[in-house]
Amino acid sequence: MPVETANLAPVDETITLRDLHFDPYPIYRRLRAEAPVMRVKAAGRTFLTKAADTKFVKDTPEIFSSNDPNTPMKPAFQAHTLMRKDGAEHMAERMAMAPALMPKTIQEVWQPLYRDLVGQYLDRLPRGEVVDLHKELSAPIAARILAHILGIPEASDEQMIFWSQALIDGAGNFGWEPGPFAVSDHANLEMNALLEKAVERVRANPDRSALSVMVNAENPIPMSQIVANIKIAIGGGINEPRDALSTIVFGLLTEPEQLAETRRTGKWGAAFEEGVRWVAPIQASSRLVTEDVEIRGCLIPKGDTVMTIQASANHDEDLFEHPERFDVFRAKNPHQAFGSGPHHCAGTHVARRTVGAVMLGMLFERFPGMTLPDPSVVEWRGFGFRGPINLPVVLN
Amino acid sequence: MKITYIAADGTETEVNAREGDSVMQAAIANDIDGIIGECGGSMMCATCHCYVDDAWVEKTGPQHDGESDMLDCAASEVKPTSRLSCQIKLTEELDGLVVHLPEAQI
Ligand code: HEM
Ligand code: FES
Repeated sequence: MPVETANLAPVDETITLRDLHFDPYPIYRRLRAEAPVMRVKAAGRTFLTKAADTKFVKDTPEIFSSNDPNTPMKPAFQAHTLMRKDGAEHMAERMAMAPALMPKTIQEVWQPLYRDLVGQYLDRLPRGEVVDLHKELSAPIAARILAHILGIPEASDEQMIFWSQALIDGAGNFGWEPGPFAVSDHANLEMNALLEKAVERVRANPDRSALSVMVNAENPIPMSQIVANIKIAIGGGINEPRDALSTIVFGLLTEPEQLAETRRTGKWGAAFEEGVRWVAPIQASSRLVTEDVEIRGCLIPKGDTVMTIQASANHDEDLFEHPERFDVFRAKNPHQAFGSGPHHCAGTHVARRTVGAVMLGMLFERFPGMTLPDPSVVEWRGFGFRGPINLPVVLN
Repeated sequence: MKITYIAADGTETEVNAREGDSVMQAAIANDIDGIIGECGGSMMCATCHCYVDDAWVEKTGPQHDGESDMLDCAASEVKPTSRLSCQIKLTEELDGLVVHLPEAQI
């Protein structure tokens, strides 16, 4: 079949998962320039690295389905979750949680609470010595506010962080090793036990949390899906705001002029958008191809899995000048850090109105003399999810 | 065909749009600042919120199924004339349409 094979996307056998884990951006730059549709052997997927293509795929669920039964997500979550569904079923499960995540509720309930919590978490931080802000602030505050929003405030920061990582590691276990599933099974046991009690509590005392609005809805979705939704939000609602915060703080501390200008203008929202553009906390999402389709002259056959690399879309030279640079004051910032299409992040308002609108301003107001003594010790990791894994600052 | 976008500060921009596109797509294609359209028209983000000018409300018609639920997620005040601009398809009838943009989309 020479004609057909000639039309398939080129294959790359040089890129390794290790390279992608440590520093994917130079690889993506090369792919955008040379082969924006590329079958990457190590990942077993077709990489799409141009912004127009990643958006097209996410906006066309009729051809590019989220309903991929062959991912480790199902065993990890012990459920078929909304992230892996299409159409009306997806919509019903997603909208069930929406009231807890919408701007009005955030403004009235979660923002005031978040302000108090941020105040408390900032109070605990020591001054005048090196402190890992990623571990001591970014992670626990993300866990705490999410526990409240979801309606499980009795879960500790440590539990939330452990569950989230267990779910993510399980869902990313494409090698189908038993280890990560054993850990996620354990996390599921703990979550199920806690949720059982929390459901009774919100039945007796309804509030505006995600669990309560789902449980007390007029026509509730099945309990199995309520539980699955909470787990998706745990898996998808801690590491991203954590990584976003650490990334933005790194960006601002290494660009002092921009930090000064951001403080002067109060454009913390723009700093937030730029941080998630610069290093997208979720770097790539996959979709299952349900019919033969052509992208940039390459045949993508039915049954193939494409990886839409929003990390690369966010550095696409067609849309961004000096994309590799953190620049709060870009005139336009049409990034895809929250995805697009029917699965566009359900937590965007929460992320923007906590990390962006509250945290950044409070943090730099409290510690105007914060420094990052040695930016080169900050390590960045991740192919599917990415961010700094440490952020040793001195607070003053 | 023509559409006029009136920003929250009163600035008017008239653009040439293609029939069949949505009011959101026409805004993106013409670099209108006050519309983001982050979910690409899937009714999942409410960052394409607009107020249809009173003179055009009848022609643009009623909200679509599910649109009002998503409008609840809009960042600015929702009024009776509020629509998600990704749900307004441009037909010949809408040539000359005027929409007003909210203070904020996110
Ligand atoms: C900076 C922070 C965040 C970023 C960058 C982010 C990014 C994303 C992306 C890219 C997707 C789409 C995945 C795909 O297309 O397959 C997504 C989905 C999702 N996110 Fe977020 N997220 C963030 C914060 C949050 C928070 C705080 C929550 C919970 C309150 C949340 C809940 C969700 C849910 C439930 C989905 C699945 C939506 C669906 O499948 O319909 N996210 N997120
Ligand atoms: S573009 Fe997202 S709701 Fe209209």
